[in-house]
Amino acid sequence: MPRNETYGFGPHDVTMPQLGMAQDAGKIVSWLKAPGDKVAKGDALFEVETDKATMEVEAQASGYLTHVTAAAGEDVPVGQVIARISATAEEDAPVPAPIQKSDADSALPEGKQITMPQLGMAQDSGVLVGWLVELGAQVGPDDPLFEVETDKATMEVPAGASGWVAATLAQAGDEVPVGQAVAVISASKLDAPVARGVAAKAVPAPKPDQKPEAAKSPQPTPKPAPARDAMASSGGRILASPKLRRIAVEKGLDLAQLVQAGHPQPYHMRDLAVLETLAAKAPAPHTSAAAPALRLEAACPKDGFAPFALWAAETHGLRDADALLAGLAGASLGRAATVAVARFGADRTYHVPATRRLSAITTTDDTAELVLRDLRMSALSGIAMGAEDRPVLTLLARGEGLALVLECTPAQLAPDQAIALLSEFAGRMHDPLRHLL
Amino acid sequence: MREITLSQAVNEAIAEEMRRDPSVFLMGEDVAEAGTPFKVLSGLVEEFGTDRVIDTPISEPGFMGMAVGAAMTGARPIVDLMFGDFIFLIMDQLCNQAAKTHYMSGGKLTVPLVLRTNMGATRRSAAQHSQSLQALVAHIPGLKVAMPSSAYEAKGLMKTAIRDNNPVVIFEDKLMYQDKAPVPEEEYLIPFGVANVKREGRDITLIGTSSMVQVAEKAAEILAAEGISAEVIDPRTIVPLDEKTLIESVKKTSRAIVIDEGHQSYGVTAEIASRLNEKAFYHLDAPVLRMGAMDVPVPFSPALEDLTVPTPEQVAANARRLVAGELIHAA
Amino acid sequence: MAKAKSNTEDYLRMYTQMVRIRTFEDNANQLYLSARMPGLTHMYSGEEAVAVGICEALTDDDRITSTHRGHGHCVAKGAEFKAMFCELLGKAEGYCRGKGGSMHIADQSHGNLGANAIVGGSMGIATGSALRAKLQGSDDVTVCFFGDGATAQGLLYEVMNMAALWKLPVIYACENNGYSEYTKTEEIAAGSITARAEAFGIEAHQVDGQDVLEVNDLARKLVARARKGEGPFFIELMTYRYHGHHVGDINREYYRSKAEEKEWKDNRDPIIRFRAHLVREGIATEADLDALNAEIEKDAAEAVAYALDAAYPDAAEVNQHVYAA
Repeated sequence: MPRNETYGFGPHDVTMPQLGMAQDAGKIVSWLKAPGDKVAKGDALFEVETDKATMEVEAQASGYLTHVTAAAGEDVPVGQVIARISATAEEDAPVPAPIQKSDADSALPEGKQITMPQLGMAQDSGVLVGWLVELGAQVGPDDPLFEVETDKATMEVPAGASGWVAATLAQAGDEVPVGQAVAVISASKLDAPVARGVAAKAVPAPKPDQKPEAAKSPQPTPKPAPARDAMASSGGRILASPKLRRIAVEKGLDLAQLVQAGHPQPYHMRDLAVLETLAAKAPAPHTSAAAPALRLEAACPKDGFAPFALWAAETHGLRDADALLAGLAGASLGRAATVAVARFGADRTYHVPATRRLSAITTTDDTAELVLRDLRMSALSGIAMGAEDRPVLTLLARGEGLALVLECTPAQLAPDQAIALLSEFAGRMHDPLRHLL
Repeated sequence: MREITLSQAVNEAIAEEMRRDPSVFLMGEDVAEAGTPFKVLSGLVEEFGTDRVIDTPISEPGFMGMAVGAAMTGARPIVDLMFGDFIFLIMDQLCNQAAKTHYMSGGKLTVPLVLRTNMGATRRSAAQHSQSLQALVAHIPGLKVAMPSSAYEAKGLMKTAIRDNNPVVIFEDKLMYQDKAPVPEEEYLIPFGVANVKREGRDITLIGTSSMVQVAEKAAEILAAEGISAEVIDPRTIVPLDEKTLIESVKKTSRAIVIDEGHQSYGVTAEIASRLNEKAFYHLDAPVLRMGAMDVPVPFSPALEDLTVPTPEQVAANARRLVAGELIHAA
Repeated sequence: MAKAKSNTEDYLRMYTQMVRIRTFEDNANQLYLSARMPGLTHMYSGEEAVAVGICEALTDDDRITSTHRGHGHCVAKGAEFKAMFCELLGKAEGYCRGKGGSMHIADQSHGNLGANAIVGGSMGIATGSALRAKLQGSDDVTVCFFGDGATAQGLLYEVMNMAALWKLPVIYACENNGYSEYTKTEEIAAGSITARAEAFGIEAHQVDGQDVLEVNDLARKLVARARKGEGPFFIELMTYRYHGHHVGDINREYYRSKAEEKEWKDNRDPIIRFRAHLVREGIATEADLDALNAEIEKDAAEAVAYALDAAYPDAAEVNQHVYAA
C-alpha cells in the first residue's frame, strides 16, 4: 500500500488545535479515545469547545493514544501538547513537556493548577482582587476561590476542583494573564503551602502572530510643556488663537490682561499690539517689579558708524545701513541673534548669524530679542524709560560722538552680560572695522 | 506661448508617451474612433491603430482587471473610465488588486497603470455622472492621485503618471476640457508631490484642487481689491501630498481655507485641514476651514445643482471672516 | 488511466510534484493546528492532479493566477518549500517577505502572478496578462485557476467575453471540488458550468481532475493551440478537497458526509492512482517511490524547521513596498 498518510512529524504530539483566527484556547469537552486505545489517522480523538462551536478533532496520525495530560473540562491554550500518538500503547517515552510551563512551576506543590480564566472576548488578563479562602484551606469545586476584576466586571471564580489550596501564585492587586496559573489545589493537605506574587508585571508570551513593533512611533517625543501662564487665564477660558497664545508665551505676556482691560474676545494677532501696550503699562508679574531694572550708559567720543556705512555700501554693496547696525549690535551678544532696529515708531527685524559676515544678515518676521532704538536724529540728550519686554539699546547723538543706553531686567540679561553687551557695542560703534577683525 | 485646451493637452501627453514607449496602450469604452464622449482621445486610433487604442465592451471591472494583469506582466496600460462615478464598479480591481499587489508581493510585482477619469458637477448630469470621488481612492495606500488644474498641469502630470511604476488615478474636471492655457511646445514633466504656488500672499492661504484652483484665484482677486492678500496653492497631486509647501505657507499667513469639489465630509479638504492643524497649530490665528461640495447627491435641477459647489464669492466671504478674526463655528 | 506517451522523466516529475504538494499541505496543516502558523489557510490536498497536470504543460514564461487555495498551484509552478513555509509563517525570507502570507504567495520567477484572496479576483489579471502577450507578440499562455464558487462572480463573464472577442491565449481552469465554501455547488450554480463558456463561443472541456495524465494530456494540447492563437479555452476539472473550506472547518457533516470523503480518498486519490500506474507500467518500483516520498518528507521537515527559526521582517519593512520606485 502506498504511503500517502503522514508526512513529516515523527511520534506524533497531539496539541490543542487552532481552529479559527485569534483563538487562544479550547476546552476539552470529552476524550473519544482512552489512553492505550489504537487510533487511525482521521479518527475522532476528542471533542473541543471554542467560543464558536463544539467540534470533534481528528487524529493526525495513526498509532496508540498515550501520555494524555489534559482532562475533560480543562481549558488548554492552543498549541499545548495534550497527548501523544505513539508506535506502541506503552507509556515508556518521556512525557512531552507542555509548551507553556515555566521553570518556576517545577517547585510548586503537586495538584491541579487553577488558571486565570478568560471571561470575555479579547480579554488578555485579569486583576486578582483578593483570595476568598485561606491558604491551606479545604475547598470544593463550587467554592468561590478568588475574586477577579476585568475591564467589564468583578467576578468570583470557583475553585473548580476539590482539595486543599496548596499554593497561591498571585497576590491581591496582581494583574495575571489569562491562562496563567494562580493557584494549585492538591489532593491532600500540605504542611507547607506556598504563597507567591506575580514575579514581574506579567507579559503574555509572544505569539507567532504578534505584530512587530511599529517602524516608528506615531507620536513624537513629547516636548516639555511650555509655560502655562499665557495658556490658562485667571478666570474661565480665554478665546484666543493658537498663534497668539504661542507668541504670548514667547514674549512673556498674559492674555488675562486683555480680559481685565475689557478688550473683546476672541483674541487674534491683531490684538497683540493692545496686549503689549497693556503689558508695558502694568508689567506682567514675572517682569518682576521687585527686581530693579538695569540701566547702563556708555559714551563714544567719535561716531565711527556713519563713515563705515558709507564705505560698506560703496565697496561691498551693503546698502542697508540698519542691517549693519543690527549686525554690530547682534554680534555684541556673541551669538546668533534677532535684532530690531526701531526709528520714528517703525521697526524692522534682522537675523544676525553667529559669524561676523555682515552680508549674511537677513530680514525676518521673527520676534526680535534685542531692540536697537535709534534716536540719533532726535533732540533727546538722555533717556530712562525703564525695562521693557526685552532689552533695549538706545542710540543718542552727543556732540561729535554718541551716547549709548542699555535698559533691561536682570532676568533678560544678567548684569555681567549687560556690561559685556554694552562695552562690545560701544567699541564697535567707535571703530566698526574692529568688528571685521 | 501657444494656448491649447485641457483636452488637447491630455491627448498630446498620451500620444507623446505612446510614441516614446511601445508598451503603453489605451483601453476603455469608445476610446478609439469615438475618441470618448468628450473627444479627448480623438485621432489617437488613427496614429496607433486598434491594437494600442482598444475599444472595450461596457465591462468596467473586466477591463480594469485586465489592465492590472497587463501591467503586472510588462505593459503600461492607460485605462479610460468614462465617468468618475463608475469607480464604484471597479473598486475591487483598483483597490484590492492594483493598489496592493506591489506590497503583498514584497515588492516583486509592480502595477504601472494609469486610470484616467473625471470629476466635477454643474454639467446638469445629475447624481450618477457628476461626482468627485478622489477622496475614495486617495484613502487607499498604494494608489497615487493627481488632479490637474489646467491644460499645463494636465499634460505634465499625465506624462509623469504614464512613466510612474505605480497605479495612478488622474481626475480631470469634465467642465475644463475646453479651457485653454499656455502649454510649451517642448517636452516637460511635472513631478508628483510638488505643489504649485499660483499666487503669493500674506494674509491667508487658499488651497484648491483641480477646478477649485480657479475658484481660489478668483476669490483672491476679490480679496485683493479689499486689501486682503491671499496666497493660492495647487497641490497638483493629493497622493503624494506636498505637505511642506502647504505648511510653510500657513506658517506665513496664519490662516487657511481648503477647497475641493468632493463632498466635504471625510474628504480631501478634511485631510489637508487636519494635517495643517497637526503640523502648524501654533502658527494658526484662525480655524482652518474646509469647503467641499455639499453633502447631498448632486441634484439635476440647475437651480439646485449650482448651490452644491463652492464659489469664489463664498470663498472670499469666508476668507474675510477669518482675516477679521470673527469667531467662526462653521463655514 | 488515459493513454499518454510514456515518458519516465515526465511521469516521475509529475508524481514528485503531487507528493510535494500533499507533503507541503500536511506540514502546513500541522503548523496551523499547533498554533505555530498565524492567520487563515486553505488546504489543496486531494486536488494535486489539477495543478500538476496543468502546470507540467507550462514553461516558466507562461503565467498563472492562483486562488486562496493556492499552495498547490505555487508548488506545481516551481516554488521552493523554504521560501513558501517562510511566507506562511510571516518570515522575512518568504516569497513576499512575509507581507502576503498563505493567501497571497506570488512567485514571479516561475510565472506565478499570485494567489488572490478575493474569490474570482484574479480573472481580470489572467486575461490582462494574455492581452499583454497578444499585444506584444509573445507566445506565452496564461492559466487562470479558480473554483466552482468563483463562477458566481460577474467578472468571469466580462473577461471571457473579451478573451473570446480578441482570441486571447488564456485558459480558464475551473477546479470543481463540489463545494463553494460550506455549500454544495449544485445549490449555487444553475445549469452547466462548461455551457457558461460555450455561450461565448469558447471551447470548453470537462475532465477527471483526479487523473493527472488525462489533465496533462488535455492541458498540453490546449496550451499548444493557445500559443498559436486558437484560444481562449475553458476546462472544468472534477476534483475534491480533502479538508474543510479552511483549516479548522473540521465538523462539516452538515454539508458533507464522511462516507463521501472516504470514497474519494480511498478510491479516487490522484497520488494513489498514479502510483499504481507507475508501478504497473514498470516505470518505478514501490521501493523507488517510497524513497522519493522519504526524500520529500525530509525536505519539508527541513524547510519547516528552517522557517520556524527564520527571522521576522524588520519593523522598518512595514512601510516599504507601498509604492514602487
